Amino acid sequence: MLRVEKITHSFKTGNEWTKVLHEISFAVKQGEMVALLGSSGSGKSTLLNLMAGLMKPTDGHIFIADHDIVLMGENKLAEFRRKNIGFIFQAYELITSLTVRENVELPLVFQSVSPSIRKQKALALLEQVGLPDKADLFPSQLSGGQQQRVSIARSLITEPSVIFADEPTGNLDSKTEEEIISILLKLNQTMKTTFIVVTHEQEVAEQMQRTFSLRDGYLINGQHTDVQPAPTEEESP
Amino acid sequence: MRIRDISRMAWDQVKRRKVVTGLCMTGISIGCAAIIVALSVGQSAQVYVTNEVNRNFKMDEITVTPGGGLPSPGGKGGGGGSGSGVNSNLDPGKLTFQKLKIIQGLKHVVAAAPFEDNGYRQMITVDNKIADIQVIATDLRMLNKFDKSFKQGGASDIPGMVVLNYGATLGLIDIETRQNIFDRMNSDPFNQEVSSQYNNLMLIPSEMYRQQVQLQAQDYSASAPNGTGPTKLSSPLQVGGILANPPGTSDDRATYEKVMYVSLETAAQLQHELSFTDANGTVPSLEEGKYNSVTVKVDSVDNIKPLEALIQKLSLSANDNLYQQEQLKEQFDTIKMAALGIGVFILVIASISIIVAMTMSTHQRRRQIGIMKVLGANMGQIRNMFITEAALLGLLGGLLGVLFSYLIVMALNKLVGTAGEGLSFFIPLTTLPIGLSFAIMTGVLSGIYPAISASRTDALTAIKRD
Repeated sequence: MLRVEKITHSFKTGNEWTKVLHEISFAVKQGEMVALLGSSGSGKSTLLNLMAGLMKPTDGHIFIADHDIVLMGENKLAEFRRKNIGFIFQAYELITSLTVRENVELPLVFQSVSPSIRKQKALALLEQVGLPDKADLFPSQLSGGQQQRVSIARSLITEPSVIFADEPTGNLDSKTEEEIISILLKLNQTMKTTFIVVTHEQEVAEQMQRTFSLRDGYLINGQHTDVQPAPTEEESP
Repeated sequence: MRIRDISRMAWDQVKRRKVVTGLCMTGISIGCAAIIVALSVGQSAQVYVTNEVNRNFKMDEITVTPGGGLPSPGGKGGGGGSGSGVNSNLDPGKLTFQKLKIIQGLKHVVAAAPFEDNGYRQMITVDNKIADIQVIATDLRMLNKFDKSFKQGGASDIPGMVVLNYGATLGLIDIETRQNIFDRMNSDPFNQEVSSQYNNLMLIPSEMYRQQVQLQAQDYSASAPNGTGPTKLSSPLQVGGILANPPGTSDDRATYEKVMYVSLETAAQLQHELSFTDANGTVPSLEEGKYNSVTVKVDSVDNIKPLEALIQKLSLSANDNLYQQEQLKEQFDTIKMAALGIGVFILVIASISIIVAMTMSTHQRRRQIGIMKVLGANMGQIRNMFITEAALLGLLGGLLGVLFSYLIVMALNKLVGTAGEGLSFFIPLTTLPIGLSFAIMTGVLSGIYPAISASRTDALTAIKRD
């Protein structure tokens, strides 16, 4: 489902290039829930941004549903992201001027889905994350945990192949953290959606099916799991 | 992305960002109002001046006089020729009763009647008041068709019945008083008090309806120099109608237009009674059935030229005052272009404020734009959202501008209400879409740069938290 092949990434600081990821390769199966564990500066967020197509790697390939996103242009990537990728941010990133329901609907707005279908899907998802009565409230009227649940519902509305969660419990207390993780686990089981969860907390990572650990830009476990050969150029979109 | 969604999101932003919206709308509304008001004032002034010119120069009238040169055979315009379709019995070159009837029957002719200037005479009332008036012979029953409405009475065919215009009822003073004032003015020409007294007397109206008057003529020929010649008095005339003062004409101005309208029959009688023998010892008389001048009223200014061509085919001269209108049009076109230029200049200034406000808004909303891009919005969708928002600001500014322009025009009308006789400002409906189009266009053009800037926002940089 997701295949990362020999990803290398460097940043230029002044006149020098700093390598932050060193030939990372791994694969994730459809419906798997995987943790990317690492301390601050280990390169886990950079890897997440590369996998989500928000950055281009210096070298290597990333395949999502057999499409090499590294080769895609900006608009093509936007379209691909719209249909295949969901996001859960550490700081929720809800749009404050929109209601909870409108926030959840937003990815479908960019797909020109009709308002009635959008509304129906949004309300169903809000029910799944336990916020059926908050649809018409604004994000500022919700607690942090509730906002993160809205963010989870928003990430699921396009029925994506994979959801990237960047420290989804990083801003929450331990009780709310447990609630959010249990929601993610439940959704993973019921909807069979692939989750890649970036975290620096061992306890969170332990609840996932597999964990890839990063240290100083190197993958220190799981590196050789299920890596498939790269498709030829004709197979790429 | 659906238009409805883009519009709704743009509207949400416009509602939410009240200060930016207010600033942009103010700038655009001033520019839009400037365009609408400038065009409206230009148009109102044009209508006013055109009406004034129409009234004074009679744009929709043709003055027909005898002669005008025989038209070239088969020629187009400039007269038709005695050959083609013109009966030789029509007395080529002369303006006859028969030709008048033909003119009256032509298409687009509202009315045609002789208006013969019979010169100036002294009008004397029964109570010995006197005034100098112009005598015009015409068909009295046609007066109302030449925009002359009756204030009192009406037209009559009875010989000796006359019609006075409003000016002829003003300033009638008795002979002794008049002579006394003239003497004082002659002895002290710079005495303001005397001239003021005279001016006031000239504005006093007299009740002339159904009054009896007489005309007096004096022999000014070489045999009777310096006003010492004999005088002749006409038989009594009855005032059967008084014309209303034309709208927009002040009493001051009316005192300079003292006219007595008489029938052609009465004119012949007056000619007979008041004429003196000429150098050959003969008394000039009016030739029956022939006229010196006929005025033709036309239904539309557009039909003036074609009708003139037809009239010229009767070997008559036809003249109009259209050149006045053409001159005016050129002047007003220049004024309108200048006004439009001022409005556009204001809009350009306003557009700078929009560019600044929208660019600031883009910067403040970078994070939101980043989130949208992460969620799948492409560059075109972000660009369209910002341009729609700018267009909406333009539209709202334009609507506010329309409201402002109505208020400004109302204020202008109040300002000139009493002073501007007949002048009233109005907003022609055609100026509203022009003003609104300029406002929306300004919004869209001003929104292009911020929209492109927004669409190029790097999503990752935008959502990155320090």
